[in-house]
Amino acid sequence: MLTIILLTFKEIVRRRILLVTVILAAVFLALYGAAVHYGYQEMSRGAGPLKALIAPQFLALGLYFGSFIISFLAVMAAVGTISSEIENGIMHAIVPGPVRRSTIILGKFCGYSLMLTVFAALFYIAVLLIVHYNTGLDIPVKAAAAGLFCLQPLILLAVAMLGSTFLSTLANGIAAFMLYSVGVVGGMLEQIGYLAGSNMMVNIGIASSLLMPADAVYRKIVYSLLSVPGASLSMTMLGPFGSGAEPSVWMLAYAACYILGFLLLALRIFSKKDI
Amino acid sequence: MILETENLTKMYGAKAACSKICLSVNEGQIFGFLGPNGAGKSTLVKMLVGLLFPTSGTARILGRPLGDLGARRKIGYLPENFRYQDWLTGEELLSFHASLRGMSGTERKQRVPAVLEQVGLAGKEKQKVGAYSKGMQQRVGLACALLHDPALLFLDEPASALDPLGRREVREIMLELRGSGKTIFLNSHLLSEVEMICDRVAIINKGKIVAGGTLDELLAQTVEVEMQVEGLTRPALAELAALSKKIAVEGRYVNVVLEHSGQIPALAEAVVKNGGRLYSLGAKHNSLEDLFVDLIQRGDH
Repeated sequence: MLTIILLTFKEIVRRRILLVTVILAAVFLALYGAAVHYGYQEMSRGAGPLKALIAPQFLALGLYFGSFIISFLAVMAAVGTISSEIENGIMHAIVPGPVRRSTIILGKFCGYSLMLTVFAALFYIAVLLIVHYNTGLDIPVKAAAAGLFCLQPLILLAVAMLGSTFLSTLANGIAAFMLYSVGVVGGMLEQIGYLAGSNMMVNIGIASSLLMPADAVYRKIVYSLLSVPGASLSMTMLGPFGSGAEPSVWMLAYAACYILGFLLLALRIFSKKDI
Repeated sequence: MILETENLTKMYGAKAACSKICLSVNEGQIFGFLGPNGAGKSTLVKMLVGLLFPTSGTARILGRPLGDLGARRKIGYLPENFRYQDWLTGEELLSFHASLRGMSGTERKQRVPAVLEQVGLAGKEKQKVGAYSKGMQQRVGLACALLHDPALLFLDEPASALDPLGRREVREIMLELRGSGKTIFLNSHLLSEVEMICDRVAIINKGKIVAGGTLDELLAQTVEVEMQVEGLTRPALAELAALSKKIAVEGRYVNVVLEHSGQIPALAEAVVKNGGRLYSLGAKHNSLEDLFVDLIQRGDH
């Protein structure tokens, strides 16, 4: 499996996936840093007691769009990992070798996971540092929140890998983004539902989280970083980027099972696939 | 037998890409597998190397069932429509395949330059595979297939992208490998190539094996005879038609296809006995191409 993992790393570097990602992330962080710096100065001027609510908004926005970028990267990296290699004939030279098909899938998954985890961890630290140094917000150091931030792209990675075993690259890309969009829109509807007191909208949000739990994981991160005991106001003030109710630990267990389930399904389909 | 298949079948819906294929290949031979486009040649090879799963039937490679990892360690495969990771250099590609096959660092250092030399790519190993010409890609594919010194080699159209010089080199590599006791299963369109190097041949058409055996056995199956006859009577023609598998008359020239050369005296007798005047009679043995075309055309009608 190590051979496949190393090849996946090499592919990420050689095909400049890493380079493009790092450059775009740097551009995003630079823009985000400038926005936090100047935005916070402008908005906090004369804000009075509401000043304390501005910095969390910036943090939530950074984590929200950061999640989006990393999930996007996960999909882009893995969307054609199996299908395109079957289409262009690369798999024809690998599968007949003395390697189990499951090893190919797991090797690729581990390779991309490691890359995404490192990238997500660095991104997470960068967002927290930008907000802390520009606004003075004391953000609790929580390894669990960082871990969840790294878990998000793995959900999309598992989805893209499964799709790649039976869909064409284009169809898989569309399907993965549609599914991600369902999670994002559902998550927003859920938050609006909390604000508007609409049970129907909250239920739609919960159902969409079952279809795509990435957004629920984001809500959990935001809640664990920004909630203050006894003060739910700060959460509701974050609007669609906040977390009206803390996603339960069962939701996280569900997200982990979701990744595992998609991965097992990918293994099963690929192990029986005619190439 | 290093390779045996029994009723190996691959169905795509109601269409049989391969139907009840029974083959056996002896160790140390070059086995030629022929057929027109779409006949099922690549489908069979893909089943044997584990890319496709048979719908029914069984096969044993090196005494083990299909898909066995131990057997796959000892087979090499050059696919027909393949592409390698174009962002790797030739050397990196071979190192990856060596690692995939569990070769140690020492083995790798020894084998990679050796196979590059063998396929004529020495000195080109630092170039990216994407910058290789089609012929060089074919050579690096062959190098990947040879890397682990396999006992059984499946080559699917190995010379298709090569120039005549390259073809000759590949032919020499195959003969060398046979000389060292390796077995080669060769899928090819190049009948002259097959005729030159193969010990046994099977011909597939529309998913079914239509002929098989050594080249001598196959080519002795039919003899074509051309006669120059004047005054060919109806009874003579009827007798000739009864003797031959195929008959064509054009003016004073009569072409017949016989099952074996032992029937030639009876042809002359049929002409003379029925009042015809025989001026010449010449027999020629079929080439593999004649046999191939005949079998495929028969199957199409």
